[in-house]
Amino acid sequence: MDWQALILSLELAAMTLAVLLPLGLLLARWLAYTSFAGKAWIEALVVLPLVLPPTVLGYYLLVSLGGASPIGRWAAEHLNIRLTFNFLGLLVASVIFNIPFLVLPVQRAFEAIPRQLGEAAAVIGLSAWQTFWRVELPLAWPGVLSAIVLTFVHTLGEFGVVLMIGGSIPGETRTIAIAIYDRLQAFDLASADRMALLLLLLSMGAVGASFFASARMTARR
Amino acid sequence: MTGEAAPDDDRALVFEVEQTQPMPLAGSFRCEAGELMALVGPSGAGKTSMLRVLAGLMRPTRGRVRVGGETWCDTAVGLFLPPQRRHVGLVFQNYALMPHLDAVHNVALALLHVKGPERLARARQWLDHVQLTPEQQARRPAALSGGQQQRVAVARALARDPRLLLLDEPFSAVDQMSRRGLYRLLADLRKDLGIPIVLVTHDLLEARLLADRLVVIDGGQVLQQGSPDAIHRAPRNARVADLVGIQNRMHGQWIGPAPEARRGLLRWFADNGAAGQPDTGMVLSVPDKGKLPAGQPVTWIIPGDGLTLLDAPPEAPGAGELAVRVVDARFLGEITLATLSVEGMHGIELRLTLAGPKRPALTVGLRLGVQLDLDRVHVMPLRS
Repeated sequence: MDWQALILSLELAAMTLAVLLPLGLLLARWLAYTSFAGKAWIEALVVLPLVLPPTVLGYYLLVSLGGASPIGRWAAEHLNIRLTFNFLGLLVASVIFNIPFLVLPVQRAFEAIPRQLGEAAAVIGLSAWQTFWRVELPLAWPGVLSAIVLTFVHTLGEFGVVLMIGGSIPGETRTIAIAIYDRLQAFDLASADRMALLLLLLSMGAVGASFFASARMTARR
Repeated sequence: MTGEAAPDDDRALVFEVEQTQPMPLAGSFRCEAGELMALVGPSGAGKTSMLRVLAGLMRPTRGRVRVGGETWCDTAVGLFLPPQRRHVGLVFQNYALMPHLDAVHNVALALLHVKGPERLARARQWLDHVQLTPEQQARRPAALSGGQQQRVAVARALARDPRLLLLDEPFSAVDQMSRRGLYRLLADLRKDLGIPIVLVTHDLLEARLLADRLVVIDGGQVLQQGSPDAIHRAPRNARVADLVGIQNRMHGQWIGPAPEARRGLLRWFADNGAAGQPDTGMVLSVPDKGKLPAGQPVTWIIPGDGLTLLDAPPEAPGAGELAVRVVDARFLGEITLATLSVEGMHGIELRLTLAGPKRPALTVGLRLGVQLDLDRVHVMPLRS
């Protein structure tokens, strides 16, 4: 059992959420509440990581974040950081490939809130911010919760993109999914077995618990 | 746009609007403090849009809203306060209560400016005021009946100490029993609050029962305003007569002044007379304000209580006395709705509501007489 890889995966998942959740909430709310020309293209862009093969996504991330790319060069010159083959690069990639997993369910959840509630909130004196915290977020919460769990679990399990942009550096980019692959390559079936089972139980438990919780929250309305 | 020149230094509502996009809205009205004004008209007439302009949920192209000497909207100077900055209470048609909050917290949400435990205490006071039991106050909207939800919505609207109370079809989703209780609540509120109250409804009976003033709206236009009685007696045109549900609407032609002062002669047509239909031979002498040119095609109305049933057909019909036959009689609880066909006038029917001891004798096919109270006849020019 590669505990270091498990802890790294958990860290990556937690930090991905920390970065993506606020941005994703804003993006999802914006997409849910506004309509404009070209919105379909933005929505398509949001869904893209879901439909692209992870290797393709990983390839483009590698190309656009690598040291030879404008972004990579700029980060190296001005911030003195590298964006590939380290934890930071992994985090950036993880945030990007998780966008659809977070944004889509949250957008649906916001869309399901009757527009009149927002108007009612305005009429009783709530600012946009107060309406968000006291009305929209609580009502969208079942959707937000399942999006959080989905994103977390998906990060734990992601393989292709991680391999492309991070490789398998122990303690830096070797996540549990990569570790399982490594163990299998080394014919250490017992370790692979244990880690795969742990990942399976963890994912099943988290998704099941979130579904159970959101079903209960919805039933109480 | 013609605003009334009356001073608005008091707590009255003064409203003017004029726009063509996104939907046409035009008109102005004034509602005094303590007065209940009903906006009536068919669905899609623009009643709710006017309410939205008043609440600040819709910005009109051109318009002005003044309440209690405070200007909430004046497009001439680019002023448009958002709903948060208007002291307005709005009861939405389907209440728009927050489904995740119980009744107390729904009301407390309107009291965020009140700090600490005082907030919930105030919310409970308002719910007590609209007669919700403590047990009901702890329930979420889904666990409350339509009438109870509405009381929560009213309490929430009142919690902000509004200077204007707006009610959008508030009774449409409640049963008859709770409706009566809510009518009483509204009547009490009107006395206690002393602010202008604007009610949107398509139910004319309700409007007449509750409102001091009616504003008749159709196609986004204010067609007429006044007391329910005045509008009923003298609708401005045929459309208003239609909208306020005047049943006895007839066609005719204006002949000109009668020998008596302030009266004119009206020829009664069996249809609108456009197809050169021969007239019915009946000329009526009715009140005249001297505004109609001779020969003008007109619509005229007579209210149900301007009709008196006579036990027998008159010997010689004329001068407002007609021979009729009962073609339909519907017994609706304590009243009867009767439809009478006028003999010798093909296709002309009169409708009237009856109460009292003579009612059961009314059977289909019976021949009777009807006396028209010609002083109650109101004549409107027919727009070509």
